[in-house]
Amino acid sequence: MQKIVDNHPLKTFNGLTLAIENAINAFMTSKYNPFYYHGALPQYYLWVLYLSGLLLFAYYIPTIDNAYNSRNLTNAWTSVDYITKSLPFGGVIRGIHRYAGDAMVITILLHALRVWFTDRYRQYRWLQWVSGIVLAIFVLFIGQTGFYLVWDDRSLLLTRMTAGAFEALPVIGPGLKTWFLNGDQVTNLTLSNFLFIHIGLSFFLLFGLWVHYLRMTRPVLTPPPAVNYILTAFVLICVFIWPLSSGNMADLNQQPTSFDVDWFFLWPYAMLSQMPVGVYWAVMLIGTGLITAIPWLMIPKQSAIETAEVVLNKCTGCSLCFKDCPYQAIEMVPAPAGSRFKLLATVKDFRCSGCGVCVGACAFDAIDLPDLPDAEVTSKIKALLEARG
Amino acid sequence: MSEKIVITLVCERAADLNGVVDDSGNCSEVPGMKVIKFPCSGMIQPLMIEAALKGGAEGVIVCGCQIGDCYYREGNRMIRERLLGERPPTLKKATDRRRVLALWLAKPQRQRFISESKEFIASLAGLAAPEAK
Repeated sequence: MQKIVDNHPLKTFNGLTLAIENAINAFMTSKYNPFYYHGALPQYYLWVLYLSGLLLFAYYIPTIDNAYNSRNLTNAWTSVDYITKSLPFGGVIRGIHRYAGDAMVITILLHALRVWFTDRYRQYRWLQWVSGIVLAIFVLFIGQTGFYLVWDDRSLLLTRMTAGAFEALPVIGPGLKTWFLNGDQVTNLTLSNFLFIHIGLSFFLLFGLWVHYLRMTRPVLTPPPAVNYILTAFVLICVFIWPLSSGNMADLNQQPTSFDVDWFFLWPYAMLSQMPVGVYWAVMLIGTGLITAIPWLMIPKQSAIETAEVVLNKCTGCSLCFKDCPYQAIEMVPAPAGSRFKLLATVKDFRCSGCGVCVGACAFDAIDLPDLPDAEVTSKIKALLEARG
Repeated sequence: MSEKIVITLVCERAADLNGVVDDSGNCSEVPGMKVIKFPCSGMIQPLMIEAALKGGAEGVIVCGCQIGDCYYREGNRMIRERLLGERPPTLKKATDRRRVLALWLAKPQRQRFISESKEFIASLAGLAAPEAK
């Protein structure tokens, strides 16, 4: 078992988190407390983004000049303009797609902060933390490609900034720039590449989420419908309060110099505009490395976990502990020859959290935590009762 | 007549009893209660509850964290389902359910724990003496 050291600052954060959630429980009950579904919130917004993105995809034209001049939809910018202004509810769908993305960033941040503050990110959970960082970076990049797709003057500036930043990287830089622009300069092929990155990487997120959910038995994927309604309402309120509009159509002969910063997705560009590109990459790489290393850096001396141990001659191979283990740390293997039973439980130490759920699941006293065997608990109960006056 | 004792099986991350419970498990706020701490309420076996009642305990209190919030993901749900008979191994049907109280309280809810357990102990006084002595 691992405990946070008493004077550790995170202990205060843990108390703060629990106090906030306690206050929310008072009027929402624990069943509908959104904090208890913190991981499922961005997952819900991902479905919203897929659906609204599919609708936008039907009308979006990924070119910078006229390939198909029907309905005067000559390029990406005019197709977005058509979606926003002429298509019934097109502006609403576009708004939902944008604000659901912003909401996803906020909920991912809440998710990360909560697991950090409540000390649920390290040791047997390191894979969740690291895959979460990778997922968050991909979400950011996918969101940024969404800003290029609108193809207004901000898109052009962001495209040029990105190409420049890629080009400055040693060795892989020129290749990255060519991949990003789909050629040496901005052409029709560039926008189809952006659309491919935007949609293709979105499906990569599903692969990343699979890794994120590895070792998690029964991951919580969906909040209750009532919470989903609230999440949807937040997005819709934003859509109607702040309707979206594009900037001017991008003009390759112009060099835009300033842009409105969207603080959810475009903050790296705000940084990039303030510092030399070499410093920018150094800050980003070192920063990402530090955040990824948090499970190992935060608490240097982590006490080893007392992992569960199977009592071999008592295990009947009933699989109850295997079913109940929240970290898939128990594997049922064929019992050795001569055993009365077919299966035998084994513990994968590197996944075990030492929580003891398997002890609670065992009706045969066949699995134990070394520092608190169930026989000890039972004898303690008896001793307490016998010691009565 | 021996002293009446209520056994409390509590998750060390649930309602914070550090200040009020001494090393031998006595609670200064609730007389007659003996506290045993677990790393997670999911570790509590229904057998332990049965053993306590069989051994002559007046009642048993099980306390885990708020349902939905378990440090180890699912421990409190597990013991809750075992008590309700929804997940094996379950609490024996013959167990006197009036003598078992399950509380799901977060760390800051110590006062709630104390008031609920006092109320529970008071309700036990009205019951007939447990059969097995």
